[in-house]
Amino acid sequence: MTALYEVSPPTQPTSSHPPVLHMTDIVKRFGPVEVLHGVHLEVRAGEVHALLGENGAGKSTLMKILAGVQPATSGELRLGGEAVRFRSVADAARHGVRMLFQELSLAPDLSAEENLYLGDMSPLISDRELRDQAAAHLHSLGLDLPLGVPVRTLSVGERQMLAIARALVGEPRVLVFDEPTAPLTAPEIEKLFEFIAQIRGRGVAVVYISHHLGEVFRIADRVTVLRDGRNIATSDVASTTQQQIIEWMVGRHVEVQSRVQPVSGDPVWQIEARPTGASPLHLELRAGEVIGLVGIVGSGRGAALRSLVGIGGESLWNGQPVLSLEDALRRGIGILPEDRKAEGAVLDGTIRENIALSSLPAVSRAGVVQSGPERQLVQQWIEQLHIRPAQPEYLTGALSGGNQQKVVLGRVLAAQPKVLILEEPTRGVDIGAREEIYEVIAGLAAAGLPIILSSGDAQEVLGLATRILVFRGGEVVSELHAPVTLEEVIAHVTGARTH
Amino acid sequence: MSQAHARTDRSPAWRQLLSRYGLWLVFAALLAIASLLSDRFLTVPNFLNIARQTSVNALLAFGMTAVILKGGIDLSVGSILAVVGVIAVFLDQAGVPFVGTVLLSLAAGGLIGSLNGVMVAYGKIAPFIVTLAALTIWRGVTLVLTDGSPLSKLSPAFQAFGNVSPLGVPSPVWLALSALLATWFLLRRTGWGRGIYALGSSEDAARFAGLPVDRLKVSVYAFSGLMSALAALLLTSRLNSAQPTAGSGFELDAIAAVVVGGTSLAGGRGGVIGTLLGALIIGVLNNAMNLLDVNAFYQQIVKGLVIVGALLFERFLSSRSA
Repeated sequence: MTALYEVSPPTQPTSSHPPVLHMTDIVKRFGPVEVLHGVHLEVRAGEVHALLGENGAGKSTLMKILAGVQPATSGELRLGGEAVRFRSVADAARHGVRMLFQELSLAPDLSAEENLYLGDMSPLISDRELRDQAAAHLHSLGLDLPLGVPVRTLSVGERQMLAIARALVGEPRVLVFDEPTAPLTAPEIEKLFEFIAQIRGRGVAVVYISHHLGEVFRIADRVTVLRDGRNIATSDVASTTQQQIIEWMVGRHVEVQSRVQPVSGDPVWQIEARPTGASPLHLELRAGEVIGLVGIVGSGRGAALRSLVGIGGESLWNGQPVLSLEDALRRGIGILPEDRKAEGAVLDGTIRENIALSSLPAVSRAGVVQSGPERQLVQQWIEQLHIRPAQPEYLTGALSGGNQQKVVLGRVLAAQPKVLILEEPTRGVDIGAREEIYEVIAGLAAAGLPIILSSGDAQEVLGLATRILVFRGGEVVSELHAPVTLEEVIAHVTGARTH
Repeated sequence: MSQAHARTDRSPAWRQLLSRYGLWLVFAALLAIASLLSDRFLTVPNFLNIARQTSVNALLAFGMTAVILKGGIDLSVGSILAVVGVIAVFLDQAGVPFVGTVLLSLAAGGLIGSLNGVMVAYGKIAPFIVTLAALTIWRGVTLVLTDGSPLSKLSPAFQAFGNVSPLGVPSPVWLALSALLATWFLLRRTGWGRGIYALGSSEDAARFAGLPVDRLKVSVYAFSGLMSALAALLLTSRLNSAQPTAGSGFELDAIAAVVVGGTSLAGGRGGVIGTLLGALIIGVLNNAMNLLDVNAFYQQIVKGLVIVGALLFERFLSSRSA
């Protein structure tokens, strides 16, 4: 096993520092579903503590509880020995807990100094005073950022540093990073790591969430692994290995049998994707083949996929250009978009109106929708996909997540696509509906439909794909063929294994 | 898609009925109050009068309904009305047969409206800004073309257009009813209408469904322009002249009719039947206040209060039933 980064355990021993944060027996329920089943986390002052786990392991939920985004159902949170309960993000910040979210939350049209003191700015401070204060703060952190210009003119790396600097204004005790390197370039990552080392030196407790194991081994002192909402292990980074951590993350004996049979034969689609500003991607698709795309946020997976339908780039399908979603529909390319509520379903529309939306010409005569053929088409997909309630006039916005997703899938399939792109097909979908959707996908593949499946859930991809492309750093770094184990896929995704 | 919400909620039946027909209640209450206050109100001639007076606003409001359902707004309807009125009189005075004048005027209205749509769809400028600019541009063009004074002397056919009463019903009413049916049919029974609703509900979802989103946007503003042209022909005939200030401020009454009629300004929800009711509520209100000799200054205040009140009433009903 080759590590992506050189493994260099931190030199300063941190075990001497006292724990500043105790999370004990944290339980979180959403309605009847329990997602955290009594999780513990202990972070010491002046340590970088990596929080690891697969998608859905509960990392984000736990951190949202810590940062005051949502309350725990039960459990105890102690900060410096004192029991606390945060009512809001601002409340958590007042107690010295700050979280840097994946999306940078800066005001793009304000300057760096205005962003730094946004919210706690004295109303009578002059521009000069504000700038001096900001310069002093940035200097104390060893940062050199342009002042007096809108922050949208700064680079992504500079904005990230600024966001961290802002979090440090109130001298926090706990700072949470969620995938901070995803949008950054290699030199910017180096800078970030230096910076995190410096923050640690100031005695701040850092919680670091990442999918890059190489990063974890470079900067973290200890690691806690969660799986399915439970603690699996906490260990000093120096006394563990990447192999060990992956086993903790996925479980020791994971056997995922793909529901789809590998296919042979000549490709029916030659696809050339050209995402803007990233390397092009060549794909060959056979009839009945399911290609899985995996890769963490920022790996280039999403950008490559969207360029296939003319968003943020363009593509050639068997030599025919696809520049827009209209082109895609015309060429028989169906896409199930990842954001069901914003991009997938027309929530104000009925089930009937949604399912027929991409097939209107087929059920219309001279532009007038013929209610007979429309009802027949809609009824067919309601039955085939087991949409509940099976009422064409039911409002889509009032359906459960799983049924909304089935309605969108019905809309895509009703247009009789010749190739199907699935983007996070079961995100926010309950387990029952998820199984049904998997069955439908497997059935479509068995009937000869070529499918491209992109998902952040590696297990989902393993269960359906016959071939898996792994994205990292903006391009495809490996191609895996079924049968392959979940550990292998995760190892490639996280960069623990590179070939 | 507007009537859909009543099907899914679990509130008592009377609540659902009320939220579905609340606007009719407002209208009925208004009629009852007006009848009590004035004995001249509840008569056939007065009702025909209301219908006739409402027809121009109704035409503009039907076009506006499509635009607002799409998630846009059209502030330029009054100015398009004015400039098309001038074009129609020019054509008429040049000796073009009246049928030709009608067709060419409608084409002009549709074309001018589609310019708005092009700026919105391809220029990616907010509809409010595009149509605000169009409002002043076409008013300016009208003033230039007329040199600020009315154009009169219409051909007999043009004069008759808005002033005849086939089967005892004034022609403006026939026209508004036909436009109502046509708009309802387009919005509810055609793929175009489905596209408008989907687009207004979520532009991204409409794009992912493969709909021709940009062309839909252009067409909906063209439709509004067409309705403005129809209103222009009617008003020009009624006034027996093209006035340089004709239609000034009409966009506000049209928007008010749409909004009072229950169409969401956010797009995607509502319909043209509601707009008809909205236009009638405003029309009845104007008529009743005139009959009651309410001071014109106070009329404006009352109208504004009724608009806000009608919306609050609807909000109250739908929030309780949601």
